Formats: sequence, C-alpha cells, structure tokens
Amino acid sequence: MAVSAPPRPDVPPAPPARLSGSDRPPGRLTDRLFQWAALGAGLLVLVILGLIIYSTLDHSWAWFQQEGFGIFRDDWDPAHGQFGAGAMIYGTFLVGFIALLISVPVSVGIALFVTEVAPRRLRRPVIYTIDLLAAIPSVVYGLWAFLVLRQPLADIYSSVSSATGDIPILKTLFAEPSVTGLSYMTAGIVVAIMITPIITSLTREVFATTPTPLREAAYGLGATRWEMIRGAVFPHSRGGFVSAVMIGFGRAIGETIAVALVVGSVQQISPHVLGPGDTLAAIVANQFGEATGVYQSALIGMGVVLLAFTLVVGVSARYVVARYDRRMGAVS
Amino acid sequence: MRRSLTRACAVVLAALALPVLAAGPVAAAKKPATTTTVKLQSTSLSGDGSTFQKGFNDVAIGYFKQLQKGVSISYQATGSGQGRTDFMNKVVDFAGTDAPYPASGPAPTDPFLYIPTVVAPITVSYNVSGVSGLKLSADTIAKIFQAQITTWNDPAIKADNPSAKLPSTKITVVHRSDGSGTTQNFTEFLVKAAPTTWTLGSASTVQWPASTQGASGNGGVAQLVSTTDGAVGYVDFSDAVAGNLTYAAIKNSSGKFITPSTKSAAVAVAGVTPNPDLTYDPINASGAAAYPITSPTWIMVYKTQGDAKKGAAIKAFLNFVLGTGTNQGQKLAATVDYAALPKTLLGKAKTAVNSIIVPA
Amino acid sequence: MTTTAPTLGLTPGHRSRSRRIKNVIATFFIVLAFFVALVPLVFIVGYVVQRGSNLFSWDFLTQPPPFSARLPGGGMGPAVAGTLIITGAAALMAIPLGVLGGIYLNEYGGKKPLARVIRFLAEVMTGVPSIVMGLFVYTFIVLNTEQKNALAGAIALACLMLPIVIRTTDQMLALVPRELREGSYALGSRRARTIRTVVLPSAAAGIVSGALLAVARAAGETAPLLFTVGLVEDHTNWSLVHGINSALPLEIFTNAKSLFPPAQDRAWTAAFTLILIVFVFTIVARLVTTFFGRRTAVL
Repeated sequence: MAVSAPPRPDVPPAPPARLSGSDRPPGRLTDRLFQWAALGAGLLVLVILGLIIYSTLDHSWAWFQQEGFGIFRDDWDPAHGQFGAGAMIYGTFLVGFIALLISVPVSVGIALFVTEVAPRRLRRPVIYTIDLLAAIPSVVYGLWAFLVLRQPLADIYSSVSSATGDIPILKTLFAEPSVTGLSYMTAGIVVAIMITPIITSLTREVFATTPTPLREAAYGLGATRWEMIRGAVFPHSRGGFVSAVMIGFGRAIGETIAVALVVGSVQQISPHVLGPGDTLAAIVANQFGEATGVYQSALIGMGVVLLAFTLVVGVSARYVVARYDRRMGAVS
Repeated sequence: MRRSLTRACAVVLAALALPVLAAGPVAAAKKPATTTTVKLQSTSLSGDGSTFQKGFNDVAIGYFKQLQKGVSISYQATGSGQGRTDFMNKVVDFAGTDAPYPASGPAPTDPFLYIPTVVAPITVSYNVSGVSGLKLSADTIAKIFQAQITTWNDPAIKADNPSAKLPSTKITVVHRSDGSGTTQNFTEFLVKAAPTTWTLGSASTVQWPASTQGASGNGGVAQLVSTTDGAVGYVDFSDAVAGNLTYAAIKNSSGKFITPSTKSAAVAVAGVTPNPDLTYDPINASGAAAYPITSPTWIMVYKTQGDAKKGAAIKAFLNFVLGTGTNQGQKLAATVDYAALPKTLLGKAKTAVNSIIVPA
Repeated sequence: MTTTAPTLGLTPGHRSRSRRIKNVIATFFIVLAFFVALVPLVFIVGYVVQRGSNLFSWDFLTQPPPFSARLPGGGMGPAVAGTLIITGAAALMAIPLGVLGGIYLNEYGGKKPLARVIRFLAEVMTGVPSIVMGLFVYTFIVLNTEQKNALAGAIALACLMLPIVIRTTDQMLALVPRELREGSYALGSRRARTIRTVVLPSAAAGIVSGALLAVARAAGETAPLLFTVGLVEDHTNWSLVHGINSALPLEIFTNAKSLFPPAQDRAWTAAFTLILIVFVFTIVARLVTTFFGRRTAVL
C-alpha cells in the first residue's frame, strides 16, 4: 500500500487499430466486453459507497431530525429519550490521539530500524514479525486486554495519579484513575498496538524511497547515520509520513471490539484520561442489541458520524500527500 | 345363589373398572410424552433475543433435540431489543425478550403470543473483603448506584446492617456496558421501590455516573466484581452462582430481606396476576417471601404459523419447554438455576401454546 | 534546492563526540522500538497458545459445541466451517471484482477524471470502519430479505476487502514497465489480451499477495458479522443463503465472557485456531512476494 503513489504513467498506448490485411484478430468484441467489465467493477466502488451512505442515513434520519445540532451535546440518556453523542465523539478523538502518541514514535523507530539500521538479512524477518501484530484479530486484543492487561495497568494508573497529585495540568489529567483499569488510556494503548503495523508499513515504504543520491550526499559530507536520517530521510518523507499518521488515526477511530471491551462504557465527557469513557464505534457494538426506535436510529447515526470523520481524515491525508508531492517534485 | 351371582358381577365389574380407573392417571402421566414422541418432520428453527434466558434455552433445546433428532433449533443471545426487532421484521422464527414491546414503539403487525417460560432473580453481587451476608434496601442500592454513597462504611449501609463490621473501602460500581434487559429490570426495581431516590429512570442503558465502570455481559461484570475489592454490580442469578459471587439479601415490599434463589423468585411470580396476553410484572411483587428483583422472560411466537413443518416444531418445542415431566422444560429449569412457573401461569401458557395455528 | 532540510553544521572529516553520542543514542532507541513492539506480540500470542492449544484437535475443528455452555467437550466445528464459507464467499466476490477494478484504474482509466474519482473513493473506502459496514448490510440487506445468513456476512466482508484489492492491483499494475505492454501490442495483441497474457502475470505476485492479506484481515473481523450472520451452534450450515451461520470471531466474543470454564476453554481454542488461519494467510502472502515478486517493488 504505497502512500505516495508511484508516478503514474499515462494510460498505456492503445494498440494499433488495424493489423496486417485480412488477419482480423478475434477479440474486438472481447476487448470491448472486458473494458466494460473493468469499468463496471470500478464503478462498483461508487455504487457501494453511495449505498452505504444512503442506507445508513435513511435509518438514522429519525435521530438527526429529533436532535438537529443537539447530536453534539453531552447527554446520552436512553432512559429519558436523550441521545446526545458529544461524549462519544470526544472519546473517539481522545482514544485516537492517545493511540497516535504511543504508536507513532514506535512505528517510526521500527521503520527506521528496517530501512536504515538492520542488516539486510534481518529486514524480511523483522517485517514478517510486525505483520503478525496486524494478523491478530481485534476480538483477541480486546479479550486479552480485559483479562490480562487491565489489572497491572490499574496499579500503574493509581501510582501515576498519586505521583502527579500536585503538578498543575497533569493532576487533572491523571485524577480519578480507574480502579479496574478500564479507561480511555487502556483503550488507547490497545489501539496503539493495533495500528502500529500499518503506520510502520506505510512509513517504511516512504523512508525506503529516499533517493540514494540524497543519502550518499549526506554521508559524503561526513554525516553520522542519525544525521543522515535527519537531513535526508525525514525531509524527503514528510508528506508521506504525515499521510501515514493520518491513515493510522483513521484506523484508530474505527476500532470497535477491542475498545468496546476495555474503555469502561461511561457516556460522559471527562478530562480524566485514566478514567472510563466511551467511543462512537464501541457504543454501537455494545448497545445495538437492545436498541429500538429512535435509540437504534441514534446508534446508526453515530455510525454515520464516524464514517464522516473517517472520510474527512482520509481526504485530508490525500490532500497532504498531494501538497508535499508537488513540493518535492519541484526539488528533484 | 343370587347373592353369589351379584358378588361375581361386582368382582367382574371391579376388575373391569380398575384398568379404566388406572388408565386415567397413567394416561395423564404419559400425556406430556405424547406431544414429543410424535416424530416431527426435519426442519430448522432460529430464534434470538434475551441473553437472560439463554442458559435455560440451551438446556431445553439440548434435551428436546434428544427426542426430536430431526429438528435443529438455534438461539442466539443478541439482546431483548434486537430480538423484538428481528421478530417484528420476521428475521427469526421466534424471539426471547425480558420486556414486552413498549406501548409507544412499533410492534409486530400480525397477531403474536407472549409465552412465559421461566423466571430468575437478578442478584446484587459484591466483593468486600471480610463482609458477607449483606442486607440492602432499595434506597441504599439506589444511592450506591448513583454514586451518592461512596464508601462501604456509609451510615445508610450500616442502617441496613446494624451488626455488620463494614470497612472504609471505596465502592466501585459495575454496570453493563452492553444494553441489557437485565439492566432494564434492575433499574425498574429501583424506579418502583425507591421512586424518590432513584432519578436515572429505567431502560436497557441509563446515564450511569462518571465514576462507575461498564463491563460486557454478565461474565464481564462478574469478572470485574470478583477481581476488585469494594466492587458491587448486578448479575443474573445463574451467572452469579457459576461465578461463585457473594450476593446481598434485598428488602422486599413487605419489609423483609430476602436472599435470591429459585424459590424466592417463584414466590414473587406467584403473587402477581398476569395480563390477558400473559405479560406480567413480578418486580417488587407483594408476598413476604418474594424476592423483589425477579426478572420475567418470554418467548414470542406468531399465532398463525406460515410453514407447516416449522409450525409443528415450534409448537412441540414450546410444549416441551412448559412440560413438567422428567427432563422436560420446567423440571430442567432448576438444574441451571432458573425457577419454573407457578401452576396457574403455566396452565395459561399451555393454553396459549395450544392456540397456535399450524397449517396442515 | 528548495527543500527545508535542517542545516547539519558538518565539518568534513571530523565527528565530534557529541555527534557520535547522539548517533548511538538514536540507534539505541530505534532498535528499542522494535523490541517494544515485540513485547505485546509475544504476550498475546503466548497467552492464546497457553489457553487455547490444549483442546486443539481435529475433533475440535469438526464437532459442534455441547448444547449447554456448562458442559465440557465438543468443539467449534460450525464456527470453523462458517469462517471458511463466509470468508471464502467474500474472497470469491471481492478478488475478481477488485482485480478488474484495479485493471480499469491502471489500464483504461489512468488520469481521466472518472478514474481519479474512483481511485480516490477506493482509498477513502479502505478506511470505512467495519462496524459501519455491518450496519450497512444489516439495514440494506438483512432487514429487506428478512433473514440472516452467511451471504449477508460475506457481502459485508467483501465490501471491506474490495477497496483494498483494487488499490493493491492498481499499484502493482503501475509497476509493470511500459515496454512490456508495447512489445505485446507490437506483436499484434489487443489490449485485453495484453493485459491477460503479459501484464497480469507480471504483476501476479503482488496482486496475489495483496489479495491474501485482504482475506486475512477479513477472516479476523467481528463487527461486520455481529448483526448479519446469526449464530448457529448445533450443526454446521454449509449453505450460503439458507439459515443462520456462525464464525470464529463471533463465537470467541460470545464465549470468552462466559462464566463457565468449558465455554471459556472452547473460546480460547477458537482464538488459537483463528490466529493460526490468519497467520498462515499472512505468511503465505509475504512468501509469494518474496519468491515470485518483481525486484523492482520497494521492500
């Protein structure tokens, strides 16, 4: 999955219209049919995306109608017919940011390890190993985190909370740690592990396309490896790196089952990152089974909101790549 | 001569009468068996809905299959709400629910039946080191779950337990993260029994305070409660027993503290008159020995079946579930910590099942 | 040069101590990053193996579970078959369509506006959360056909896989050199024939690898199957359309939370099975690229 697409050639030239004399090649019709089939397959993407948006909007319209812009307020109370999704939107972004905070440094480190530090022979095994992280199903991550990870984390949280009891901003952030370990932070940690393979893979590809002349120029000037990385690899990869981070963020906000099991399921906006919360994807997975009427519309609607955020993030990632590509294009 | 003839006739008549008289009770004892010994045609039924009844349904289906090997029945615990939705949209053949269709929402257009099957208590399970035999009143429970009481040695808890030694451990409230009929029935108890104290209302999910924790499924709640000192949560009885949890005795409407058990749940149901459609509400029921947080549950089925094979199968299965013979539904209930229905309600349920119309 | 590279302040030929130290520290953290990522991998896989490998057997893969969660024994036969059926059907739908779509984008579309739009939307669609796919199939298909079955789940998974396969195919085809195509045309082939006989085989390794990775991802998904497939437990349902089906992620999710140890054991063995399946697909995908792939592709 290349982040900055390889330089796209013009459409391959069409074959000459006629060949030798009467030797009519069979297949003008097949050629046409094939072309239409390929076009149809491509259009399928449009159709499916359109259907997704239409169908989910249709079934969530009742919620949008009832709440209007109230969908953003922090008041999720099905018992009294209140369906404000503010806390879930907040939680989705918070968990996503925590995941990025943890995952990005690690991913960049691994990517650099593969492209710059590791001996050639080790590269493939290292890549395979990181891929295995991506192969673990989300449900296994969630269950492991719930059964194994949360209790040690709970102890860590209470230590951190008491240690930062007097420091101004940190004391609010780390106040009221979850006794059970279920929290925004735990969800963020699990999601970080889950998105590391994709950010690593994308970043690795970008780093690897640093032109050799650029690297050699740095070494020629006497740079250490780290200085070469800072001076050649990083500047070249800025656009692709930002795009990789945004794609990772898009994946992070879409994580469902693992988050549903460990985020704590409390639908209130809270600054305490060590305490429980909820996200858009998690609440849909958790509460859909019992929801009917407007309640169900609200859950489907939150899926639509999540989809909208994902689309925005995806579009922005693309835009960033295009901008940086243009910039770098002027250079090389 | 005449006397001996009369005597002989009497003996003959008695001899003839005996088998006829005996046949009555024998036939009656055999009757539950006859509804299931008729071999049903091979078919498959699918149902979904309440998680609460899954433990019982699994066992009933398992034993029913031993009698009717050609019938495959699947029950998926998706939640009462989805059960009601799927049943209304005819995505499933039958559905399980812990609550009837709300009056204000959509309901199936074709006539259908609520068949009560079993009942069971919802426990308030806790884990406080050194404390057992806790008694709780509805007001206290409401305050605990609304985070108005934050430590175990709070005066309100002490008032319910005058002789207990309560530590100052912080209370950790555990609720369900997934929407649940259990949450709905538990909160309904608080609405009924502590109307001025409990403000969060009753639904499959309520707006729990920020200091509480949510876990997925009864299993998740049980896991959290059993591994956290000071934790308290509401768990279905059969899962609380399986998880070896300690649960509290709850004050009922007669003022007595009752421990949850299949017996006390049955008493609660016996004290309630069901509606004509067999919906009923045993929560906070009257009765000195009634457990106040008793959850009802029903299987919903359409009155007129469209498919002959499926209709016959579902009728036979429901009769089995309501059967009182050995290894039949009502007797199996206790083996998995559910309570059988009291006689009158059971009779009405059987009548309802027999009114299901199956095409020839 | 118009780059904004930081000035390095280098004097040729002399590396000061502080520069060398910084280099060592940086290298240390870079290597550390890899091991940091290894830690959860080892722990999670270790946990699954520890809890799940005991019951793993042929019987486990083929027998249904006992009728009650309290009873030991049995297996996850219906779920294993369900995963194979659903993922298989999804692959059958998504891979041919995805490859065709990728062919359109690279061979016929190029820079034309329609192709640009489709390419953009395909990339955006790879980010659609799996729960949204599940909701879409539930509202659009399950409610309208009034049934849950394996096909509904397969469609949800296929929608997840399709954009991935399209993008991978598009990129792999773009790496095939122009000269190959031109040579084929010079010999008299039409475009479709060229694609079929020259371009596709050349890009095959990358396309196959991408397809396998997409399948691996689909096999592990839970959310799209939650409301669409149902959960049959007493027998294996080999039918795509008749009746509810099952899948390993669903069974794991349902049973791991159970309070009965036998059900938990079955859930973790199912997790072990699922990870095995996904690992195998992932590793085969990588091996295909290694042994059959073009060396021009970036590592």
